[in-house]
Amino acid sequence: MDKLKAIFPVVTDNYTLCDMPASEIEEDEFNAMVEFTETANIVVPIQNMIVNRTEDILRDKIVPQFWSFFKKNDFSRTGFQKFYNAVKYLHDSYTSFYHIYDRLLLFRKRTNLKKPIYEHTCPHSALRLILRAILFSYYYLEHDNIIKEFYEAALKMEDSEGDHHCIILEDNMDCNCLHSFNETNRKLGEMHLLEPLVGQDLTDVIYNYTHSHIQKICKDSFDTNYIWTLEKWLKNVVLNWLGKIYCHDTSPGDDPMLMFNNKLTNFLYNSYTKIRIDQLFNIIIEYPESLPALSDLRDALPKTDLKPLLTETLQKAMETRLLHPGVSTPDILTAYVAAIRSLKVLDSTGLLLETVTQPVHQYLRSREDTVRCVVSSLTEEGPNDLAYELVNGEAVRIDENTPTDDDDENWECWIPDPIDSAPSKSCAIRKTSDIISMLVNVYGSKELFVNEYRTLLADRLLSQYNCDTEKEIMYLELLKLRFGESQLHYCEVMLKDIANSKRINQYIKQDAEYRESDIPLNAMIVSAQFWPPFKEEKLELHNEVTEQIKKYTEAFETLKGSRTLCWKNHLGVVDIEIELAGRTTSYSVTPVQATVAMYFQDKGTWELEELSKVMQCPPTILRRKIGFWQSHGIIAETSSDVFSIQEDQENKDVNVQEDIFVEDYEAESAMASARDQREEELHTFWSYIVGMLMNLDTLPLERIHQMLKMFAFQGPTIECSIQELKVFLDRKVREHHLIYSNGYYKLPK
Amino acid sequence: MKVRIKNWTGVASWRWIANDDNCGICRMAFDGCCPDCKLPGDDCPLVWGQCSHCFHMHCIVKWLQSQTVNQQCPMCRQEWKFNNK
Repeated sequence: MDKLKAIFPVVTDNYTLCDMPASEIEEDEFNAMVEFTETANIVVPIQNMIVNRTEDILRDKIVPQFWSFFKKNDFSRTGFQKFYNAVKYLHDSYTSFYHIYDRLLLFRKRTNLKKPIYEHTCPHSALRLILRAILFSYYYLEHDNIIKEFYEAALKMEDSEGDHHCIILEDNMDCNCLHSFNETNRKLGEMHLLEPLVGQDLTDVIYNYTHSHIQKICKDSFDTNYIWTLEKWLKNVVLNWLGKIYCHDTSPGDDPMLMFNNKLTNFLYNSYTKIRIDQLFNIIIEYPESLPALSDLRDALPKTDLKPLLTETLQKAMETRLLHPGVSTPDILTAYVAAIRSLKVLDSTGLLLETVTQPVHQYLRSREDTVRCVVSSLTEEGPNDLAYELVNGEAVRIDENTPTDDDDENWECWIPDPIDSAPSKSCAIRKTSDIISMLVNVYGSKELFVNEYRTLLADRLLSQYNCDTEKEIMYLELLKLRFGESQLHYCEVMLKDIANSKRINQYIKQDAEYRESDIPLNAMIVSAQFWPPFKEEKLELHNEVTEQIKKYTEAFETLKGSRTLCWKNHLGVVDIEIELAGRTTSYSVTPVQATVAMYFQDKGTWELEELSKVMQCPPTILRRKIGFWQSHGIIAETSSDVFSIQEDQENKDVNVQEDIFVEDYEAESAMASARDQREEELHTFWSYIVGMLMNLDTLPLERIHQMLKMFAFQGPTIECSIQELKVFLDRKVREHHLIYSNGYYKLPK
Repeated sequence: MKVRIKNWTGVASWRWIANDDNCGICRMAFDGCCPDCKLPGDDCPLVWGQCSHCFHMHCIVKWLQSQTVNQQCPMCRQEWKFNNK
């Protein structure tokens, strides 16, 4: 029995780790013990006893001791040291057991014992199993953080370039922490505890580290491709480091490195994509500088399943940052155009674009000045560069649903629509739509778009006599490619009118009959049918001008038989020079302002009421017009409603009232607003509707719309959707011109 | 104060001096053009008959060509004669 105790000291009651079997046991001693146990028939009980004792000792002493290393209240050591010591202790104990189990192995061989220990025929495996089982039956929460701290420090050290000085103990330059780190890992590997004890924490550490690394690198810089660099970093730094840890791992199973490689690459893509998705709005705004970031995202996206997240996040970002009243329409358009361009990079099928921009579309529709902004950015130099798009973009006819015959030719390259696309819409349509068609489609109708273009063109043509018609004609030709000849025919006539006017002016001035006074008069002679309706304003011009106009009209009448001119007195441009005591200034003003100046030339002081009667202009408007001269210090309101000239410059400073300056010359459109126009158009239907209801008594909305379509919707610009008609009819109901009941409209009795 | 007008650019719309707004044949405005034309005015002039009715020139010529027997004004059925005033 003593021999047994000497050979397997673990069975003694007061066994401690120090009681290592100091010396090698003698061969014959061992043989005697084997013989004794065999004769006493206690081979199996001895094995059981050894196992039980191992369990007891581990449970009662070693494991609690091991966990106690992680105690929170021990501030004297860093996490690195705590973990190092804990593992060192555990490994020491393990080693002593290991020697005993060496003997157990020998014992089993001699006694020919086949009975497995916990299904393991190898006692060492059994020992490791027991250790694992007991270790994790006590689970100390604090250890996670300490293990994390341990590996984090080590990873940081690995990643920092240059000399590998110790980060854990900065004051101690020659500490061999790298060595102790390797030692710890080796010990854990020997005990097969690497994966069970630290695997999860290690993964967490790496995830966190990778994430913050990506964040650090990609923060606010969109102009470089990172994904490749990151992948290289992962391979060189992280996986390399992991390899150093896991080379000690001897436990059976899948290759952990391969697993980590897949897991971490996936994680890298995921976090990179997530970070980019969060930044996507900014990336879009910075297009095209952010093109590298976009192409990264395009490459990374198929490797992750984050597309729904992308859609959702971007939509939300658009809503919070773009679609509220604080953003001006041109800004929204700029962002929208950038979104179109950049999302085309991300997803060439256009599906993503369609989904994401749907709210923008809807929002833009609710803004009144959208069309105006689109049209003006199309034809003017601006931040949107739409003019460029117009010139260089492929001309895709917006309405024509051209049959795509060429599909058959390259049927081998056919790719099915993305899985999340709506089956009703074909991919081909999305692909062909370019930026301009998308913008035009915001309103769903090109009529509106063309009308707005017409209005803007009219304004431009009228506001500057010497307008660059060459450029306008070029734009018109380009627009024609998109919208078709018939839509823009009106604009063509308008441009032609301007050209004709110049010719007529020249002709009339050469006419011997026509005598020009001090007022050189030019006329823009427009074909009223083709121009948008002008804003009506009454104005009586100064006699001199009226005289001149009369002469001009006569000359025109002789030039063009049977035709006459109807002057729009309030429209046009006047170049005027005003000479006051000691100063002469030139202005380019509206006829009203010029007329005001001319009247003040005749008489130094006017009462507002009086002048308003002479000019046939309402006092409120007139006051605004006089405001222009007030702001230039030429006329002042000497007392309430009495205006007089400021001859002396001295008084100028005192009386200049900057705040009443009204620069309405440029800002105001000469055209009736789109809404007024629409009102007018709808009003033409009213007589039809009344006629219908008179004959047919009651009619539902659909029938009215149908019949109007048959009879009233003629000409290129007049069209009315059923919704619009409903709004119109409902208003008539409110005004008691109609009665609505049971879905039928009828006239009031 | 002395005001000098250096240049006055006014806006005027032209129209035919006729006793109606629309052409009796194509029902389009006189100041517009007949359905076959693109540009109004010189390119699509009006003509007057001796009966004082007037039409787009293209419209009445087409009408007269379609009438094999008598050349009548489509409005008053009098014999159509161009009034060259």
